[in-house]
Amino acid sequence: MDSTSPRLRMNLLGVIIAACFIALFARLWYLQVLEASDLAVQATANRTRTVATEAPRGRIFDSKGRVIVDNRTSLIVSIDRNELKKVEDRDDLVARLADVLTTNGAPIKISTIERRLSDKGSDQLQAVPIATDVTEEVIHRLSEYAEDFPSVTYERKTVRVYPYGTAASNVLGYTGRITAEILKKIEPGTDPDGVEKTYQPDSTVGMAGIESTYEKELRGTPGIELVQVDYRNRPVGTESYQPPKSGNDIQLHIDIEVQIRAEQALVERLDVLRGTAQRDGTIRGAPAGSVVVLDPQDGGVVALASAPSYDPQEFAAGITQERYNQLQDVNGASALIDRSITGQYAPGSTFKLVTAAAALSNGLIDGNSSIYDDGVYRVGNPVQEFTNAGKEKYGNVNVVRGLTVSSDVYFYWLGDRMDGTTLIQDAATAFGFDKRTGIDLPNESAGYVLTKAEKKALSNKYPDAYPNGEWYTGDNVQLAIGQNVIVVTPLQLARAYAAFANGGTVYQPHVVWKILRPNSSTTDPSDVLRVIEPLVTGTVTLPPDVRSPIASGLGGVTSGSGTAASAFVGFDQQAFPIVGKTGTAQVDGRADTSLFASYGPALSPRWVVTAVMEESGFGAEASGEVTRRVYEVLANQALTGAGTATNGSMD
Amino acid sequence: MLPQSISSRASKLSRRDPTAPLRHIDPVLIGCTVVLSILGVIAVYSATRGPGPDFSKSNLYKQSIFMIIGAAAMILCSVVDYRKLHDWAWAFYGITTALLVLVVSPLGSEVNGAQSWFSLGPFQLQPAEFSKLSLIGVLAFLLSEFRGDIDIRRLIALLATAALPMALIMLQPDLGETLILVAITMTIMLVGGLPTKYIAVLTIVGLIGVVGALNSPLLADYQRNRLTAFVNPSDTSNASVYNIEQSQQAIANGGITGQGLFDGPQTKLGFVPEQETDFIFTAVAEQFGFIGASTMLLLYGLLCYRIWRIAQVAKDTFGTYLCAGVLAMFAFAAFENVGMAMGIMPVTGIPLLLISAGGSATITALAGLGLVLNVYMRRFQ
Repeated sequence: MDSTSPRLRMNLLGVIIAACFIALFARLWYLQVLEASDLAVQATANRTRTVATEAPRGRIFDSKGRVIVDNRTSLIVSIDRNELKKVEDRDDLVARLADVLTTNGAPIKISTIERRLSDKGSDQLQAVPIATDVTEEVIHRLSEYAEDFPSVTYERKTVRVYPYGTAASNVLGYTGRITAEILKKIEPGTDPDGVEKTYQPDSTVGMAGIESTYEKELRGTPGIELVQVDYRNRPVGTESYQPPKSGNDIQLHIDIEVQIRAEQALVERLDVLRGTAQRDGTIRGAPAGSVVVLDPQDGGVVALASAPSYDPQEFAAGITQERYNQLQDVNGASALIDRSITGQYAPGSTFKLVTAAAALSNGLIDGNSSIYDDGVYRVGNPVQEFTNAGKEKYGNVNVVRGLTVSSDVYFYWLGDRMDGTTLIQDAATAFGFDKRTGIDLPNESAGYVLTKAEKKALSNKYPDAYPNGEWYTGDNVQLAIGQNVIVVTPLQLARAYAAFANGGTVYQPHVVWKILRPNSSTTDPSDVLRVIEPLVTGTVTLPPDVRSPIASGLGGVTSGSGTAASAFVGFDQQAFPIVGKTGTAQVDGRADTSLFASYGPALSPRWVVTAVMEESGFGAEASGEVTRRVYEVLANQALTGAGTATNGSMD
Repeated sequence: MLPQSISSRASKLSRRDPTAPLRHIDPVLIGCTVVLSILGVIAVYSATRGPGPDFSKSNLYKQSIFMIIGAAAMILCSVVDYRKLHDWAWAFYGITTALLVLVVSPLGSEVNGAQSWFSLGPFQLQPAEFSKLSLIGVLAFLLSEFRGDIDIRRLIALLATAALPMALIMLQPDLGETLILVAITMTIMLVGGLPTKYIAVLTIVGLIGVVGALNSPLLADYQRNRLTAFVNPSDTSNASVYNIEQSQQAIANGGITGQGLFDGPQTKLGFVPEQETDFIFTAVAEQFGFIGASTMLLLYGLLCYRIWRIAQVAKDTFGTYLCAGVLAMFAFAAFENVGMAMGIMPVTGIPLLLISAGGSATITALAGLGLVLNVYMRRFQ
């Protein structure tokens, strides 16, 4: 057969066409059977958009079951931009809406509406919020004349409400619109258009305090509506809808009554002291301070006050940059820092608890070992002199009296004897200093207690800030009275006293007590999902020959010749004996930091209360006074006022 | 002895002419045509009704009208003896070529950058579609006259005849229709006995031509992009890649059993462009799945097989060549259109005959099938 034969050519044509059809079948099989699931997922992602509805956040209760963070419904008027495009007399509609809002208690300018409408940042599929917190009348009016307001919608959104105002704001924190950084931190690597995504660019998220650390519990599951869109991104229907689920409720160890008392006592005392002169003539700036109340038996945080403070409600509504800046400078201090966990201070004489415990437990002294205190302690060659505050002379002093009258010379002596060892540092570490407590709040500081090696390393690392890396006997002498090479947070101080109070157990402080079901009742045990159990992070060995002399020394502080006796005049210590220690830490060029650390009642400690006040003077006159007023509430005693700026005993 | 009824029917038939055309119609070809046409009308409606709730029916009505006109054309083309076309081939060629000239004059109207249509009220006439049939006619005429004796002079005559409408269509420009004419020309010349050496030379020249054209300024950028999109499917800067992706996702979305009639979300929501014409296959595949789409392809294949078979049993070479041309027209449309939707062929808009929306294409396709039927019916005369 010749190659031009029509029959051969037709067969060739047939083979070519058959091959083409086989190719089509093969490809069809590949697309619709082999690869179908992968490609169909892409197809679904293409034609649907996720619209999330925020779920109400969980409520927060105090230890007595009082609601301290609640939700309320806010009425929001919005405009659907997709619908607005279809409105003929658009400008007229905007003008009429502005009129309705303005005459019904939500004044707004047309230009403001236009600005919000042109905001490119908001989700194109979501209606643009025009006015928040409008009155029911506005909604009434808009729904009554709904046909006159095409594209205008309204929704009820839950926002945070704080029945106790600013109380515990540093603990509770606040919520806000999520930022890109937070979004990245919460959901690393999440596909921004993924269906599983639970945070949207306008989601509310906990930004500080408990709202932030317990975000996962408090935040509910958003309602997810899968909206079907056409190729121009216009919604055409709903593919699926999953309603929002409220977040879990949370109960705190915080007692809001004690918290309010602590805040009030702190702020009032700061106000009284501010601008007055302490004994050496330095004017007290008294800008800031903190109070910590712990339950020594489990580490529960009963109160955590920090001044200056802020109103979380301001954040709930959305805060302006100007107001935010103001909050960063209240009497020269930022209201946004929780000083109880972030502030770092030299503990001063409150640290003598640790020095005494180190000396006693290592057999350097016993309860009776005494020296003669003539007001000055000399070390080294050439001789360096360390004096008591005001060069006070206390005569024969043992460890008990040394704590009660706060003899620096006695502790200089202990520091000198322990020079060349890390006994004080080791004891400090055992009491929980030099590391974060692990409290369930963000931005906690660690403080530090330097050793010889650490001072050297620090100097090598930062030669400008720490030019001298040498460790002198003077350093150990000063460490013994909580100065110079040590800073602690008020919470660490409280935890150390809690450990002493309970016989040596160091707990991790905890603000949150229980996780409860959404919409729970605090009295129904079946609503409890989880209890945050006390966590022991360490122990301090305190045999009676160590603990008793210290306990009796501290027990004398609040009465008789004790350094804080003046602060507790009139407080019934028969009913509620208080054990404590004053501290006055020197700060170059400024008034002293006033500290007071304590627990009570003495024999069965239920509370540890510490107060630390910046640039406020001696321990008793500032922090002692504040602490006493907190105990008035704890011990159910007569409440007293803020007092006047007097000069208490020095220490 | 046969039973009475059969013998009487036999005697009745014997009284008539056993070679009468009506006794030899092809029920398979007609059956495939009817089923594909109905499927086409449904596909066009599903691809154009929109997401609702107010469904647009205008394309449904239009395509139905085209089918009725096309059926009339098919009957007309089958009843008049095809050998008369032998004499009229040049006339048809002249008319369609004249229309191709007119359409690029100001009389034609431009849609999507191509001046391919005459506007006649609500309808558009696309002369390039009709030129396919007239080119088939004239090439079949020439080759049947040459009787397999083709020298270089005759080859040039053949190529020139084919090149004229191709050049005019490229002026519109319409690459897809031009490529169909190329396929038709190559096929008829192959079947018509073009010596193998010429076929080899033409193939090489053709390949050089394609590469040259892709690298020359003759093609607009969008055309080049469309033609090369299937080679480089990850090039996201190429808009055609997006179309192909959407199309393949829609096809995959159909799965084995399909989303159901009017329930293909990709189709319904308009994600696939030109889905009633160039991408009609995606609408079929998403709604009816692998079962439906492969059935449609099988019917198409069966139709092509019948045309191929008829080409072989034709009484004369003119009939064979006519059928080969129509076969090329259908097979190439199927392969290019469906292959493009599935991402294995370049993006160039040509209709899937009988399925895609479009009056001129539908009428031409049915008329072409009428010619094939014509050849079959008269194979004994």
